[in-house]
Amino acid sequence: MLQPTHYIPTGGGMGVISAVEGHVRALLTGLKYLVTKPRITILYPEQAEELPQGYRGMPVYHKDKCISCSLCANICPANAMKMVKIGKKKYPSINYNRCIFCGFCVDICPAGALEYSPVHDYASYNLEELEFSPEKFAEGPPEPPFKPEILRIETDEEVGLKYVHPKS
Amino acid sequence: MSVSELIRWIVSLLLKPYVFAPIFFPGIATAFILILLLIWLERKIAAKVQLRYGPLYVSKRFGGILQLVADLLRYLFQEPIIPKNADKIVFILGPILLFGTAYIPTALIPVSGSFVPFRSEVSLLVVIALLSISPLFDLVIGWASNNKFSLIGGLREGYIIVSYEIPLFISTIAIAMLYGTLDLVEIAGQNKWGVLLNPIAALVFLIVTYMSTARFPFEIAEAESEIVMGPYTEYSGILYGLTMGASYVKMYVLSLLFTILFLGGWNPVFWPFTLHPILPGLIMLAKALVVMVIGIFLRAVYPRYRIDHALSIGWKLLLTLSFLAVCYSLLITYLQVVVWV
Repeated sequence: MLQPTHYIPTGGGMGVISAVEGHVRALLTGLKYLVTKPRITILYPEQAEELPQGYRGMPVYHKDKCISCSLCANICPANAMKMVKIGKKKYPSINYNRCIFCGFCVDICPAGALEYSPVHDYASYNLEELEFSPEKFAEGPPEPPFKPEILRIETDEEVGLKYVHPKS
Repeated sequence: MSVSELIRWIVSLLLKPYVFAPIFFPGIATAFILILLLIWLERKIAAKVQLRYGPLYVSKRFGGILQLVADLLRYLFQEPIIPKNADKIVFILGPILLFGTAYIPTALIPVSGSFVPFRSEVSLLVVIALLSISPLFDLVIGWASNNKFSLIGGLREGYIIVSYEIPLFISTIAIAMLYGTLDLVEIAGQNKWGVLLNPIAALVFLIVTYMSTARFPFEIAEAESEIVMGPYTEYSGILYGLTMGASYVKMYVLSLLFTILFLGGWNPVFWPFTLHPILPGLIMLAKALVVMVIGIFLRAVYPRYRIDHALSIGWKLLLTLSFLAVCYSLLITYLQVVVWV
């Protein structure tokens, strides 16, 4: 395999030979990767990784189960969740500018009104759109604009990472 | 004078060598298209070696080749911000002169034996002299930006300039000795492959080409991970676009010069009969493109030298090798004159 060569430009004799050898090896390695096939990235918006169970994406809020205990707003380490008063009761709002997707709100909810969803990719044209009021929060995470092709990661002896279709 | 005569006069003026060469080929228009192509190719090659895709989404069918056009439009419409304490006139003029002086040598570089804009007995020396102007503006804009990163980058550029200019000149002289002339038209017309005549001079000239145009592993003045963007730190908008394009234009000019001196100029590789006057230029462009593509491929392979390593390569290795190249040329000339005659 390739041994690291330490090139010291001031060296003479064998140093020069091993330096030239190192340059040639580096260039040949680059050429090898230039002409061979493997890529370890995917074309993200069209293809996406298969997400594991319990992936902490944007939380889903079930307003009917909520008991207005404010625990989610208290535990939130990034101050993303705030309780908003609607009528007599308070309901959580979430600000995705601040949310760090730690999932503490989901874990602490005593009534099971919050749960994980796999949605993690959302873009908006302005910052205000990222602040979800309780009503908008209850509608669930926004749908991605188009469905990506889902691929599964597998480790491969030669390539390193390989993406395959989950069915195959 | 009627309109048709005027149009005919304008067209004939545009096709005159001394107008056509600096403006269309090998001048600014070709350089401009090549910049867009080369930066795209650089990103694409680096991506492929690093197992990525590279620019893709602008014109997806053609592998994202229009990405650089989109980038150019962005640079054109971005606001160029001039820092409050910068030397304003120098700050604005710096990139313009850097880009402008980088492509001036194309006025003297012939692209075919008959289509020469400016023929001189010492055109090789003039090209070398004109080439040494543009790097000075790196120093100037590094100073004018009033930013410590710019200043450090400019000084690094200054150190590198003095370490490569001397080997560049001496290796050029070494190969010119073998041709026996300093006229670029005559040099290319002899159809000798300089890379076979004097491989040492060719190696030195090639390394110096990549060193002077901030290719990896000599991208020391810009050194994004150390000093933000070197001399160009404070630039934005089209002024930054000019500073970025300048090194590619210089690489283009030096590659054309390398082609004339070492790769037989516009003479085809295996096709000895004469061609249409336009075609030799294309052959020369193809050869120069190979030199440039090797240069941008290096980005994918090499890390960056430390400044003292690069300087010791310049002063200890390249200077010694360029003197060796002169001795080699002298030896060959001596053998030709004394032994074989």
